[in-house]
Amino acid sequence: MPRPRLSALSHLFLRVGVTVFGGGDPTIAILQREFYRRDWLSPEKFAIAFGLARLTPGTNVLAFSAAAGWYILGIAGALAAVLASTIPASLLVIWLTRAYRLTAHYPLALAIANTLLAAAVGTMLGAAVLLVRTQCKPGRWLRPVAISIAAFVLADVVKLTPLEVIGAAAVAGFFWPES
Amino acid sequence: MNFVVLYLLLVKATLTSFSGLASLPVVRNDFVQHRHVLTDRQLATAVAAGRIGPGPLGIYVVSVGYLVDGTPGACAGWLAMITPAFLIIPMLRFLGVRAEHPRARAVARAVLFAGAGLMASAAVPLARDAIANPLPLGILVVSFLVIAFARVDSLWVMLGAALAGLVSFYF
Repeated sequence: MPRPRLSALSHLFLRVGVTVFGGGDPTIAILQREFYRRDWLSPEKFAIAFGLARLTPGTNVLAFSAAAGWYILGIAGALAAVLASTIPASLLVIWLTRAYRLTAHYPLALAIANTLLAAAVGTMLGAAVLLVRTQCKPGRWLRPVAISIAAFVLADVVKLTPLEVIGAAAVAGFFWPES
Repeated sequence: MNFVVLYLLLVKATLTSFSGLASLPVVRNDFVQHRHVLTDRQLATAVAAGRIGPGPLGIYVVSVGYLVDGTPGACAGWLAMITPAFLIIPMLRFLGVRAEHPRARAVARAVLFAGAGLMASAAVPLARDAIANPLPLGILVVSFLVIAFARVDSLWVMLGAALAGLVSFYF
């Protein structure tokens, strides 16, 4: 496999980081295409990076980027991949937050902010349902749905902290194996 | 808020979640409910800012950090977002194929499903704050349906919501 220069690797992650919208899955799909096209990463290593990224805490796509960068150029590659894919996007998010704060007292901005906030909440609820839906296979929906609803009830009704709910889910997952 | 404390609180949230927005309940618990350094509305603003721009879903923690403590806070949020990613390197070295063990996968997926329930739980109070009249309620419902059941990029949902706000202001 060709070993790219650090600048070429950084450039790829920077370009994908600022041009791909929609979160982790589209980003990983674009990176996969680019890696295969350049012959930087084998399908076997891609599969291990993808699988382990799902088991790594935090944002999956960043763990995947670190793993891919590490496979390609070691620690320097992992650092370059994560920094290049997050710094420009983070600057843009800060700018968007500043823009909101500076314009929040204008009636027009307030009207737009109200509808944006409603969309953000709808997006959160939709993302929660999507997370479970995409994991449900035909005839195997009981476990995902039951654990999700139980977590909601434990947090919203029983008032357990998120960490307690996550701990309970881990125990349930250990003793309730997937069929 | 002290930079280190802010970083530790945010990294606690990112380290205990397994997808971008799943850290939201821990963030809300610490910053809105216990320390009162953020309001539900500001938290929803951070989520919206993270959704409008490119990048991963978890990037909203940068906005949370910025809203709590300006530029240093944004840096703390950015560090908290990227820190867990590097855990995968020792995992690649030492776990490798063992991470595919059915029991390990079952536990990880159970935590993922719990994240969905927690996310919905965190959205409930934000929804109460966001729904001031029928228009936001309609936008919330449409956004929910589009994200949950259609393959539409959330950027278009946000742009559509902004357009609806613009139109409602003039008409």
